[in-house]
Amino acid sequence: MSRINKNVILALLTLTSSAFLLFQLYYYKHYLSAKNGAGLSKSKGSRIGFDGTQWRTVKKFIMLTSSQNVPVFLIDPLILELINKNFEQVKNASHGSASECKFFCVPRDFTAFALQYHLWKNEEGWFRIAENMGFQCLKIESKDPRLDGIDSLSGTEIPLHYICTLASHAVHLVVFHERSGNYLWHGHLRLKGHIDRKFVPFRKLQFGRYPGAFDRPELQQITIDGLEVLIPKDPMHFLEEIPHSRFIECRYKEARAFFQQYLDDNTVEAMAFRKSAKELLQLAAKTLKKLGVRFWLSSGTCLGWYRQCGIIPYSKDVDLGIFIQDYKSDIISAFQDAGLPLKHKFGKVEDSLELSFQGKDDVKLDIFFFYEETDHMWNGGTQAKTGKKFKYLFPKFTLCWTEFVDMKVRVPCETIEYIEANYGVLEERSSHSWSVYEFVLEPKLCNCLIQPDPA
Amino acid sequence: MDDWKPSPLIKPFGARKKRSWYLTWKYKLTNQRALRRFCQTGAVLFLLVTVIVNIKLILDTRRAISEANEDPEPEKDYDEALGRLESPRRRGSGPRRVLDVEVYSSRSKVYVAVDGTTVLEDEAREQGRGIHVIVLNQATGHVMAKRVFDTYSPHEDEAMVLFLNMVAPGRVLICTVKDEGSFHLKDTAKALLRSLGSQAGPALGWRDTWAFVGRKGGPVLGEKHSKSPALSSWGDPVLLKTDVPLSSAEEAECHWADTELNRRRHRFCSKVEGYGSVCSCKDPTPIEFSPDPLPDNKVFNVPVAVIAGNRPNYLYRMLRSLLSAQGVSPQMITVFIDGYYEEPMDVVALFGLRGIQHTPISIKNARVSQHYKASLTATFNLFPEAKFAVVLEEDLDIAVDFFSFLSQSIHLLEEDDSLYCISAWNDQGYEHTAEDPALLYRVETMPGLGWVLRKSLYKEELEPKWPTPEKLWDWDMWMRMPEQRRGRECIIPDISRSYHFGIVGLNMNGYFHEAYFKKHKFNTVPGVQLRNVDSLKKEAYEVEVHRLLSEAEVLDHSKNPCEDSFLPDTEGHTYVAFIRMEKDDDFTTWTQLAKCLHIWDLDVRGNHRGLWRLFRKRNHFLVVGVPASPYSMKKPPSITPIFLEPPPKEEGAPGAAEQT
Repeated sequence: MSRINKNVILALLTLTSSAFLLFQLYYYKHYLSAKNGAGLSKSKGSRIGFDGTQWRTVKKFIMLTSSQNVPVFLIDPLILELINKNFEQVKNASHGSASECKFFCVPRDFTAFALQYHLWKNEEGWFRIAENMGFQCLKIESKDPRLDGIDSLSGTEIPLHYICTLASHAVHLVVFHERSGNYLWHGHLRLKGHIDRKFVPFRKLQFGRYPGAFDRPELQQITIDGLEVLIPKDPMHFLEEIPHSRFIECRYKEARAFFQQYLDDNTVEAMAFRKSAKELLQLAAKTLKKLGVRFWLSSGTCLGWYRQCGIIPYSKDVDLGIFIQDYKSDIISAFQDAGLPLKHKFGKVEDSLELSFQGKDDVKLDIFFFYEETDHMWNGGTQAKTGKKFKYLFPKFTLCWTEFVDMKVRVPCETIEYIEANYGVLEERSSHSWSVYEFVLEPKLCNCLIQPDPA
Repeated sequence: MDDWKPSPLIKPFGARKKRSWYLTWKYKLTNQRALRRFCQTGAVLFLLVTVIVNIKLILDTRRAISEANEDPEPEKDYDEALGRLESPRRRGSGPRRVLDVEVYSSRSKVYVAVDGTTVLEDEAREQGRGIHVIVLNQATGHVMAKRVFDTYSPHEDEAMVLFLNMVAPGRVLICTVKDEGSFHLKDTAKALLRSLGSQAGPALGWRDTWAFVGRKGGPVLGEKHSKSPALSSWGDPVLLKTDVPLSSAEEAECHWADTELNRRRHRFCSKVEGYGSVCSCKDPTPIEFSPDPLPDNKVFNVPVAVIAGNRPNYLYRMLRSLLSAQGVSPQMITVFIDGYYEEPMDVVALFGLRGIQHTPISIKNARVSQHYKASLTATFNLFPEAKFAVVLEEDLDIAVDFFSFLSQSIHLLEEDDSLYCISAWNDQGYEHTAEDPALLYRVETMPGLGWVLRKSLYKEELEPKWPTPEKLWDWDMWMRMPEQRRGRECIIPDISRSYHFGIVGLNMNGYFHEAYFKKHKFNTVPGVQLRNVDSLKKEAYEVEVHRLLSEAEVLDHSKNPCEDSFLPDTEGHTYVAFIRMEKDDDFTTWTQLAKCLHIWDLDVRGNHRGLWRLFRKRNHFLVVGVPASPYSMKKPPSITPIFLEPPPKEEGAPGAAEQT
């Protein structure tokens, strides 16, 4: 008898556990499909029509923003990509001709919109109305970086991101703020303590992982999938900007500490130099932009940005870096046309090229070309006096946007490593170490003399 | 199918089928140990798989969460600063809701403590004289307002009456006198104190001490008073200790309709006191104004910087007038508060505007100057596309057509390099000297008090050499210096578009205000169309001035220019007078003339190449300085320029007081 019981119990146990296991498998699959919805539900894509939740959520969101005069525009990379591919078709499509839902029904987790904050007139009531419409919204605020550069100001926080969910689809509204240098900036999506971390899968947001900088896009109105939306006039350009949009702020606090220690040089000459250096940099940036050549602040100019968020008055020149693969043969003539005659040319395109242009008021513009090896980058430098050539090695770096003297320019994201490779180790915490570089702006010479310049 | 054969293991169908099934099973299960083992292992395996799947699930969820958490590290920077005045702790936690209030009044020190927390303490010498008033929230005990009225000086009692009348009924009022509070305490104020139930207040005498606690419109909760025994001595210090019962929060609050605006109003009114009808339960005054938009508004996108200190009542009045002006765009307004003051911030929040606080640097005038610099820099940072900024101060009323005036004239700043600013203020525009709302002037002085700054001027010239904190300079004096102004001029209206109402301030007091600001003319007519704006450009203005001088009637120079009869009793005529002015900086006669005309005479204002333009008795009145002015050639040879002797130097003029 007891044996039979045992067996029955065993059988029951097996049954329950398999049922449980099945349930778990089912749940796990569900969980997986929710996680990478795009991957698993692709097969269903064709079936989702105008009644799909994504389309409806977007429609409701557009209704909300147009009724509240919130001037949003679409920046979702996935959809912009699709629009860009079918651009002609989209432009020609008339109002009601959408027969199938091609864009807003593509499976995805988020739909990203953007907003230029200064064009937004009635911020206050918007949130409540969104919630009344059934959206669940999250607002991410932060302090205003535009006030960081100024001593001791603290203001009202500014909104950086809104995330609104409705029926399992989320709209990510990125708030763009105008910055000096004619560009738009968006902030880092930081979750503060009280925010529900499971509100949406934040990891998969397309924007907000870092602060970003974009050219101010011109907008155009289009009708896709029966919805009227604004998109950047040049979706291609906007899409290209996204992967390189990371922005880093100047370290204003440290710069202030620096100036507390080494008072700013406000002599007439220093101010005059700063002014002409700024003009030279603006001219160079304009010229290179026209050519479509990427550049970044290098050497002394980069150090000035990093250390004091400004131009070092005794540096006497403006230094830029350019990757050799971005080199264009008409750089020299373009600068000449812009009123900057070539002063020196060292090296060749194949090897340690350096160009030096003569700006106004005896300010020089030095352009160093960077060569990439497997594990480092390098550029060549030539001592004008002796003709000796040196090779400066840098650890690999990527480029970030930043703001410098009212301009949007690039700097190496790994700035400290870059500068240290250039000038030697800066002991960051003790500001005393700056004194070493206070009056000496000679890059450290590495002992890797290449060959004397034949010239 | 025919080939089908039953398996030999299975018994043929029959009556014994059921039993055999069971038996087979039983047999197998009981006897085949191997199978049993197998089943057991199977079960264990099942369980193991379940456990593994479970663990994986848990791990996955964990990772997903931690991914979401990864970058948002806790931010120390954002730690909320300590809140404002903490609510005084209740005695005990039980139902006995009573505040224990101590009030001290004496010659050199006053203090007020609520439940042991000092909310007012003033023992500084040479300041804080008069009646200190504190308002507490009757439900929470929060300090809602703290004021001092120097009722030893004139007109302060009027301010006190105004303030006390604005306090909502039911609030707890605390008054205490420091030094002297009765000299200019007039009957109206005394009557008001009597209506509050005070015994000693209405009878307050010279150098008496007095402490009072009462509920507005309700019972007196305590009062102490000590008479001064003699003119040369003070009353004995008094210390009043009393219990104030708290009422329920329900009673202390109004029930406005639940709108976004009222939510702002509610936040404001439960925190601060002394703003009158904005917090009235019945029919509160609006906090949103929808002035008519301006057609073709050229200044809609021009940022407006309001420079403020800790004068929240002024700020309140100023913002009301600003937000009521036609063509205002509230999202362009930023209020810059010099210091971490809460109440001005509350006022800013009430109107839903952007407010920025500024940690004070340096002292006095240099502090104001540093505040100006930070505010202007911030304004152009916040609005990088702006080419101009409007600069206002917290003690100005803004005319209804302020933005209309700017919209019609701002193109001048763009087109004419010889301009320094556009200002809404005419230094010489008093009730009796300004007449024409459509008329503009060019002047060599920078009036300030509501003006437009060009970004290029600020960024390229002013900002880099702005006086540093250790230089104790006034920003406006600095801006007026020739090194900065470089011969450029400002556009001003004949009738000012701003009105300076501030009586207390760094360079301001009641007497000064009454003498120089009170009688200033202020435009109240909406939508004034300015006349011939382009004639204000450099060359065109010379043509205009020459035309004016040519048609002007020369006054009788034998008469005393200070006499009213100097100008005939006509209307709409243009008259000219010539005064002596030896060099470009010789203003001896002008200063005397300005003095007797009761206009601004503390320094020279409103001149354009030795020419002053104003109105007298509804006639345009031109004054030309001869021979320094290039317009001297218009003087008929027979006329001798008027010379007025400065009085012998005895009375020290109020000095280089100025207007900020």
